[in-house]
Amino acid sequence: VSLPRIGAIRPARSTAAACGAVLALALALGLPAAGPAEPLPSSLTDAQIPRIVALGPWPPPAVPDPSNRVAGLPAAVAFGQRLFNEPALSANGRIACASCHQAARGFSDGLARGQGLQRGDRNTPGLLNVGGQRWFGWDGANDSLWAQSLRPLLDAREMGGSLGSVSQAVRATPALRDGYRAAFGEPPGVDDERVAVDAAKALAAYQATLRSGRTPFDQFRDAVARGDRAAAAGYPPAAQRGLAIFVGKGRCWVCHGGPGLSNGEFHDIGRPHFAEAGRVDPGRHGGIRKLQSSRYNLLGPFNDDPARATATSTRHVSLEHRHWGEFKVPGLRNLALTAPYFHDGSAATLRDVLRHYSELNEERLHVDGERLLVPLRLSDAEIDDLLAFLDTLNEAPAR
Amino acid sequence: VSAHGRSAALTPERERRAGCLMSGPACAPLLLVALGLAGFAPAAAAPGCGAALGASAQRIEAPAGQIAWRATTSPIPVSRHFALDIELCPAAGQPMPAAIGVDATMPEHRHGMNYKASVTPAGSGRWRAEGLLFHMPGRWELVFEWRDAAGMTRRLAQRLDVE
Repeated sequence: VSLPRIGAIRPARSTAAACGAVLALALALGLPAAGPAEPLPSSLTDAQIPRIVALGPWPPPAVPDPSNRVAGLPAAVAFGQRLFNEPALSANGRIACASCHQAARGFSDGLARGQGLQRGDRNTPGLLNVGGQRWFGWDGANDSLWAQSLRPLLDAREMGGSLGSVSQAVRATPALRDGYRAAFGEPPGVDDERVAVDAAKALAAYQATLRSGRTPFDQFRDAVARGDRAAAAGYPPAAQRGLAIFVGKGRCWVCHGGPGLSNGEFHDIGRPHFAEAGRVDPGRHGGIRKLQSSRYNLLGPFNDDPARATATSTRHVSLEHRHWGEFKVPGLRNLALTAPYFHDGSAATLRDVLRHYSELNEERLHVDGERLLVPLRLSDAEIDDLLAFLDTLNEAPAR
Repeated sequence: VSAHGRSAALTPERERRAGCLMSGPACAPLLLVALGLAGFAPAAAAPGCGAALGASAQRIEAPAGQIAWRATTSPIPVSRHFALDIELCPAAGQPMPAAIGVDATMPEHRHGMNYKASVTPAGSGRWRAEGLLFHMPGRWELVFEWRDAAGMTRRLAQRLDVE
């Protein structure tokens, strides 16, 4: 039976064919073809063009979180930034959110695994573009940025606080007390849980403003989308070859899709399951269990949106055995700032990441895993091209 | 048969085996698949079942009955929730079931959705399925199930290429 296929992966076509695809796209979009018929120095196929266009536009519109009544309010953003840098929220008075989420590192820490009051099991994720996501954390144990912001405040291995200690810090520190009043229109009350959750909502309001800017890739993507061959031709040839792998035989785009280059979901990519000898990190499976038992999920009493408009995922998420060892697909913007990589920080460089995908253990994955993943067997030149492409996703090219 | 697809020819024997699909381990699995295209180029539904869903409704037709459905977002997006409006028209002589089930899988990837759809009745053989999310582009199989008067599970499926 012959199925109509859309976007099937095809062998690379000639430059002229790729150029024609851009023209066809422009016509499909009802846009005039720009300039003379200049060749697009690319091995991109017509099937790959819409995949590239789907990696933008950037930036996407900022949509305030309806579950957070102070999202987008300048006073809450300012209060949240103050809290973000405030060590008084930690049990020892020396650790702030900013201790591990350092701006110069894309709000990550450069360590393999996070180091709060104790060493954690996972890599500290960067916070650029963290707003508007569906799930938060490597295991997606939280469904809102404010719930995710509350977690490290209370985690014994990270900041080691409690609802009481956090709320007391807000009440007792003049600058925090004033910030709370400005953000929420009233002084912090006696309800510890409410004050602590409100502090987390202010932290979320601030973090939602941490957005990365446009990149060389975005310029290329937009040129392709509008059929501007002259502008597209300025994209480095090595990056174009890497992009062709990304949306072609590498099939990276299947999970790293959309403007943020992540589908926002979870996959097992064959990294070790063990956080340490004899102890498994359950990944997404544990995350869903935590989510569903959390008082702070979007189905709980602290969601400020009576309509629960953003709770669809929480209401319908399904716990499956296959979620064991799955971790969230990270976005790929500004990766130069956030080494090392993977959920456990076990890849020091992006070259190490690509070598993993090039040589991954197929039998390990296919026992119960995603059939999509196969060893890519990339040449050194192909890895260099993919690195060149990833480099164009940095606001300031690293090389 | 959908306007631009084909359905598997269903002999009585094949239909019986399909009815066994969910009824016991002795039954050999057989998926009744109506092949069609949805998402990027939805076909118009033929008059009849699902007419109330509008011209963009998709239809799956087999001797067990007909399913017409329409996604609330077209084309179906990748990695975003969507809902389906559904109308079931059981075969002649078969009663309307009290409930239907809706699910989706990626057979080539050996997994389904990360979400379980909820289905609520909308009256007159219509339902609303919510909470679906295709988290990857590629070939998905949208599956509708219900029990007939004999208690046997009927299943209709449609393959979709989503990108």
